Amino acid sequence: MTAPTEQSDLAISVDAVLDALSRERYVIDRGLATAVYLAVRLEKPLLIEGEPGCGKTEIAKALAAASGAELIRLQCYEGLDASASLYEWDYPRQLLAIRLHERDRTTAELETEIYSERFLLRRPLLRALDGAGAARPVLLIDELDRADEEFEGLLLEVLSEFQVTVPELGTIRAKRVPLVILTSNRTRELGDAIKRRCLYAYIGYPTPEKEVEVLRQRLPELPPALAGEITRFVQRLRSEDGLAKRPGVAETLDWAAALLALGERSLRAPTVAETLGLLLKDARDLEGYRAGRVAELLALP
Amino acid sequence: MNGTPGGSVVGFRFFGRLQGFLDRLRAEGVAVGVAAGVDLGRALGTLPILDRASVLEGCRATLAKSPGDLERIDRVFDAYWTAHGPPPVPPPSEAGPRPPDRRRRRRIGGVPPGASPSESEGRTRVDGRFSPDAPGAGHALAPVPAPELRRARAGARRFRRSVATLPGRRWQTSPDGAIDLRRTARSAARTAGEWVRLGRRSRAPRRADLVVLWDVSGSMREHTGSLCALVHSLARSVLRTRVYSFGNEIAEVTSMFRGLSYERSIPGLADRLAAAGGGTRIARCLGEFRRHWGATVRATTTVLVLSDGWDLDASLDLARELERIRARARRVVWLSPYAADPGFRPETAALKAALPHVDLLVGPADFPRSHGPARVRVVPAAFS
Repeated sequence: MTAPTEQSDLAISVDAVLDALSRERYVIDRGLATAVYLAVRLEKPLLIEGEPGCGKTEIAKALAAASGAELIRLQCYEGLDASASLYEWDYPRQLLAIRLHERDRTTAELETEIYSERFLLRRPLLRALDGAGAARPVLLIDELDRADEEFEGLLLEVLSEFQVTVPELGTIRAKRVPLVILTSNRTRELGDAIKRRCLYAYIGYPTPEKEVEVLRQRLPELPPALAGEITRFVQRLRSEDGLAKRPGVAETLDWAAALLALGERSLRAPTVAETLGLLLKDARDLEGYRAGRVAELLALP
Repeated sequence: MNGTPGGSVVGFRFFGRLQGFLDRLRAEGVAVGVAAGVDLGRALGTLPILDRASVLEGCRATLAKSPGDLERIDRVFDAYWTAHGPPPVPPPSEAGPRPPDRRRRRRIGGVPPGASPSESEGRTRVDGRFSPDAPGAGHALAPVPAPELRRARAGARRFRRSVATLPGRRWQTSPDGAIDLRRTARSAARTAGEWVRLGRRSRAPRRADLVVLWDVSGSMREHTGSLCALVHSLARSVLRTRVYSFGNEIAEVTSMFRGLSYERSIPGLADRLAAAGGGTRIARCLGEFRRHWGATVRATTTVLVLSDGWDLDASLDLARELERIRARARRVVWLSPYAADPGFRPETAALKAALPHVDLLVGPADFPRSHGPARVRVVPAAFS
């Protein structure tokens, strides 16, 4: 693996972003590369929306790897709050400290002591602002649409000012502005306030050429002919009307890896039917396609 | 085209035209704020400004906030940045709102006695449009009077309580619930261990997600104002509400309601609905919805279809699309403005096809008289 690119190098040009990410075997088009370049250059968060399994999370990993930066990931979920995302006081240690020093310290001294940074548990957002590594950390706020709308309010200060306010300590400002990537599967619309603070990019399903390139980069041992067949089949499947869940690139990669593991050199209807569960993740979809539609799709010119 | 990064070629005249471009985008419905404009200016300072593709990508990254915005930016960019300059803004339509045709009301939802549904449908098809008095006329949207808005809000609250709730994680005291052993034991401790009173509890309800699919075709024009009040009330009442308007095409209009008072939401929505009002292709629009926004429907989601059920598409397609949505959703509710009419029968081909896949068919009971969704009448699916 080549030496990581300095993050400042990513701010040189769009081509530098394309080069750095292609070294990490992440296939990226120029539009998305421009958005990444602007996010680095303008120090603004980048909101990436798109179909599930099409590389939204991977781009943050690739950027961190490309620039040798720490990847700090905050996986969003319903009920996520400040104590799990920002900071929390280490209550057991604070109680212990109070018991240990209650005789030799005054109340004021104890209070100052227990509300110091020593007792602060840093969660991902605070860690990203505190980043101590050589490069700007990459903060991935993944699947923001899963979090409650109140959590978006919490993010506003972090994403616009790159600072958080801890009442007992004051305002903590970022030593270096992290590169922030937010992802959303659009299961709900994000608030306007959060969108206003972000640059925007959308990752849809890839073109056949791009999908072949992804397979070539991620699974170099895959025979080119089989890669082409896999891509054609997946693209046809994706264009089928009525699928509850269309396969993303992640599913294509899993399927290709499975076919490799099974020693397949070309697509055969029985094998495709047996492994279709790697592409289709809905029982109705599977039922419909195992009944004979697979052979029809394979036979299409 | 080889460009150089930089502002050296960015002159005052260019910024004047850039401002025109942003205005044009706003007119097309892209919400470009001042901050986004500043971002674009900063971005153009770092991009090769003579490279058209780079500038377009810069515009997309800084100005768009949704996939729909991306399409609009591409379209306006191509149209605006040509050698001929920006295209003229089309003059406002001279076709004013048409007064509702009272004679048609019974035809729309409730089939008049003696007429077969197919005859009714056949009469209304003109030049591929479904509603003969609708073409291109659009919707004239005006705020409803305050009492009607209050009724809409009460109706939305009732709807939320009766339909769009889920059992939550928390427990609440409930006389009809399961036995609460902890509470009972604690109570028994006060009576020397005797179980004098049984404590009971049930899951506290929480609000479900709501997806509203709102028919804004010509046949629904006379209800647009009332339904807008209802949809706004629902968006206020149910925390996670997404709203899509459909006719021949479907588009998301959630942002028209989010965070805005009813009065402030009207102008933006009126702009969006100005071009609506043709025929209805429910099946096609539901298919588009499922493909583009299918992920918004989860096991906790209630899907509410606001439509009179007059459809140009094949009813089999509608049944198939609704079945697929039903398989993912918690509940599918169909609200027809005519469902509470005494003479209403769900006999249009679309409604007949839809009912097996609909959990509830509801209608604002006194809709025709008060033009306000005052109460929700629930008709079981077995009604079909």
